[in-house]
Amino acid sequence: MSSVGASWMRAPYPALVVDAAGAVVEANTRAAVLFPRATRGAWLEDVAPRWLTEAHRRAVADGTDSLGHVGGEHGEWSLEAYPTTGSDGHVVWWLVDDTDRLLAERALRSEQERTAFLADASSRLLASLNTERCMEVTVELAAEYLADAAVLVAPATGKRHPLATGTGGRVTHHSLRIDPAMVPGLAEALQGFPPVPSRWIDPAALPGWAVPEGFAGPVGSVVVTPLPGHGVSAGALILLRRSDQAVFDASEEVFARVFAARAGAALSAARLYGEQTGITATLMAELLPPALRQVHGVEFAGGYRASKDSERVGGDFYDVHPGAGTDQETLAVLGDVCGKGLEAAVLTGKIRNTLHALLPLAGDHGHLLRLLNGALLTSRHTRFATLVLASVRRRGSATHLRLTSAGHPAPLIVRNDGTVELADTSGTLIGALPEVRSSTTHLTLRPGETCLLYTDGVTEAHGGPLGDTMFGESRLRAALAECAGMPAEAVVERVQMLVSQWLDDNRHDDIAVMAITAARTAHLTAVDGHTAGRYTA
Amino acid sequence: MTTMHHDDSFDLTTVRDEAGDPRIGIVGALDWDTADDLTRTASACLGADPAPRRLSLDCARLTLCDSLGLASLLMIQRRAAEVGTLLRLLNRPPSLQRILEITGTSDVLAANGAETGELTPPEPDRATTGAPLPPPQT
Amino acid sequence: MTRSTTATDGRPALRRARRDLWRAVCDRDEHAARQAVFTCLDTGTGAEAVLLDVIAAVQRKVGTEWAADRFTVAQEHAATAIHDRVIAAMAHHVPPPEPRPGAGTVTVACVDGEWHALPARILNEVLRHRGYGTEFLGAQVPTPHLIAHLHQTAPDALALSSSIATRLPDAHTAITAAQAIGVPVLAGGGAFGADGRYARLLGADAWAPDARAAAAVLDARLPRPRTGAVRQTLEDLPHLADQEYTLVWRSKRQLVKNTLGGLETRLPAMRAYSEEQRERTAEDVAHIVDFLAAALYTDDAGLFTGFLTWTGDILQARGVPARVLDPGLALLGEELKDFPRAADFLARGRATLDDRSATPPSPTPSLDT
Repeated sequence: MSSVGASWMRAPYPALVVDAAGAVVEANTRAAVLFPRATRGAWLEDVAPRWLTEAHRRAVADGTDSLGHVGGEHGEWSLEAYPTTGSDGHVVWWLVDDTDRLLAERALRSEQERTAFLADASSRLLASLNTERCMEVTVELAAEYLADAAVLVAPATGKRHPLATGTGGRVTHHSLRIDPAMVPGLAEALQGFPPVPSRWIDPAALPGWAVPEGFAGPVGSVVVTPLPGHGVSAGALILLRRSDQAVFDASEEVFARVFAARAGAALSAARLYGEQTGITATLMAELLPPALRQVHGVEFAGGYRASKDSERVGGDFYDVHPGAGTDQETLAVLGDVCGKGLEAAVLTGKIRNTLHALLPLAGDHGHLLRLLNGALLTSRHTRFATLVLASVRRRGSATHLRLTSAGHPAPLIVRNDGTVELADTSGTLIGALPEVRSSTTHLTLRPGETCLLYTDGVTEAHGGPLGDTMFGESRLRAALAECAGMPAEAVVERVQMLVSQWLDDNRHDDIAVMAITAARTAHLTAVDGHTAGRYTA
Repeated sequence: MTTMHHDDSFDLTTVRDEAGDPRIGIVGALDWDTADDLTRTASACLGADPAPRRLSLDCARLTLCDSLGLASLLMIQRRAAEVGTLLRLLNRPPSLQRILEITGTSDVLAANGAETGELTPPEPDRATTGAPLPPPQT
Repeated sequence: MTRSTTATDGRPALRRARRDLWRAVCDRDEHAARQAVFTCLDTGTGAEAVLLDVIAAVQRKVGTEWAADRFTVAQEHAATAIHDRVIAAMAHHVPPPEPRPGAGTVTVACVDGEWHALPARILNEVLRHRGYGTEFLGAQVPTPHLIAHLHQTAPDALALSSSIATRLPDAHTAITAAQAIGVPVLAGGGAFGADGRYARLLGADAWAPDARAAAAVLDARLPRPRTGAVRQTLEDLPHLADQEYTLVWRSKRQLVKNTLGGLETRLPAMRAYSEEQRERTAEDVAHIVDFLAAALYTDDAGLFTGFLTWTGDILQARGVPARVLDPGLALLGEELKDFPRAADFLARGRATLDDRSATPPSPTPSLDT
């Protein structure tokens, strides 16, 4: 009765013989493995997947030739089925197991997904140079794609470790005193040792801080992987899965390491940036112009615009040293140091410190400048500074100024009627020549009148509507004529705005401006009391 | 020699004047990029044994002198004084003249009074006339 | 939020404060200005209402007075300076609360080239009083500095202010750069259009017409952009592919020079101009080219015609007929005849000026409406 011979039973492919009504006639040895319940007389639809049952129906109705082959999944297998027509209207289904191909395709797809994920992760990780934000993105990505929760342990700062923990789309930051030895492999990971295989880590042994708040259910499996930085560790990443999820397999552990390498690189770039900007900020804090305010009935306002061409920072500076009382002079200084970048910054710092030390001698500008020159003179170079000293004291409605230029453009005086005068002072630059000379001028401001100190970044601003003209002193004078009676800040703002519009997008030197204005209404307000001490460097 | 003179190009040419002393022609802008070149070239001239009687810097084609350019001139002046060489700044353009005046260095970096007559006279100071700057020649 | 007053409590006090502050600003009397504001605060008006319904309102009036030629530039600057100082004094009088935990941090900055810092400063104060942690970077923040700062501080949002449409390309750069490092951008100020259309065009995450609306947007929390990549300008503005903006922007100086030369041959009166008058005219032409470039950047003729209408009003207030702009526009049109979009915008600009010569300028709004 058997439509096939004994050799058929041993054929290398599974084969099923099914009759026209859909009952199993015979299954060979291999087919029996695939379909254990496919015994003679069993209905195909009870023992085989639906796609095969349907195909059989069509094969019976339309003939096997027109059907070609079909395919589908069956349990963990993926099968292709080729029908041939047997005797008695039976159909012989030859089955080909292509599970390996499917798995390969799946692996490929997941590999592509992983590559896509890594590309996306990289661009998100590298987007921010902020350490906290970078930790956040790492944890967010890890908790979303690699595990149910993630904890990033950054290297200790002081005695505490910055931590970012995340699960279910929420990331929180902590700073904790933790013992990394409490988590197997963590201390090693923080030192950059190769990761400990996940199966060696007992989830039950995890300390409380290593399981993020809101983590649903007991921890099933744990991976601890180092975040390799540039030369030093950027921290470690702890990945957690719930007990109802599959444990991390080897390929996932490898993938976690690949991800961690990217996160580590991004984190250490952010840390390096943070350290560098921190150092720069510390250096710059000393050099930043102080916020100026009213002192004893006189307004001081300053404006500073650093050159965009940071390599050529010239080092403009200004300072105000308020007099101890209303009968004491306030000393204002505005200057320009020759050179660029750090060298100029160092010279600026030296000048400001020396001037501060020489404050008690400010009664004689010429003497003070000679001492300053002596302090700066060196055989190594002829880098110099030019500056203007202004000693200011208000008596009633008269504000008295002593002004001395040391090789610097002379200040301009804005009178209430709109006249602009050039202060009659001149002198030698400081720090390059053995002898310096200077002449001091005395003048008086009425309420509302302004004395403007500026660096040549203002007058030498290159631009204008035609793009090739120097702003020059005459334009500055014309602008100041419109500033009669304005408060100090407004004068500074006006000058800065005009120069900036003149420049448009042109390159420029540092630009510093200081207005000393006799207040129109000299109410000595509480602000003075709050801020007097802030001017002293 | 360079074949093309772009706006930004800088060039130093050292020749001997009628007395056999060095004369450095400066072409272009004396600034952060170029000041060291001038200091080096001039120092080489001053380092000759014996030192020249005088060193001339021809500024006729100097387009700009910033603070580092001025520092270079001051350094050259200092070294010239050390070896007893007379430093002359010839054909000073108005912009240079103005910088020297503001910084109080025009007597130190002199044009060497006796010989200024044959040179281009400095233009009137814009600050005193109040006239706007003429556009630069192109 | 709890500090803000109800309309009935605040109104008479606010009206009085506006009147007193306005008077003080006209007299350039800082002390009186401070008194006006302090009195209002001391009678129970909240800081937010004082900032927005007194100081900002008076500052708006300063702007309209300037436009109507009743205020000089100097008076306008002086008024702004007084408002700045009053705001600083307010911080001592009614110190803002410590930032609320979890309220979020906001960086407030003006676009590069933007000098009007007061609106941004007022927003900054409003946010501080609402419990935000804020950082105010002030006027004219160069975009590289802004981005460096955002990297360092990683705020929850950037509030970006710009009042002049010619700064829109700079604003665009700042917006895309901030978003690329994961900081969402809330745009505000006149530059972005009365309805925020340019904020949308340039891809800002949100736009607000005033400080209260801005605070509401921030209260609702802006989601962080997740791109991690800088958007290319062309992705937002495909019309820039025709290079018209680039070429006009690049040849701006030459355009101004040529137009100025053309005006001198066409208008005999110009030959008698002083150097200063000539320079003013060059500045006016440069201004027109700036706005034309901004219109090309946004591909919005309305930006250009709107600017001309506004300029026409300003000129008219100063007794100058708006048609003085026409020869310049005509010359620019000839210079740019090979640029279809620019030529079209210029033609529409001329038509706008033509139309407006018939209609009178709109009345200026009063302080207390």
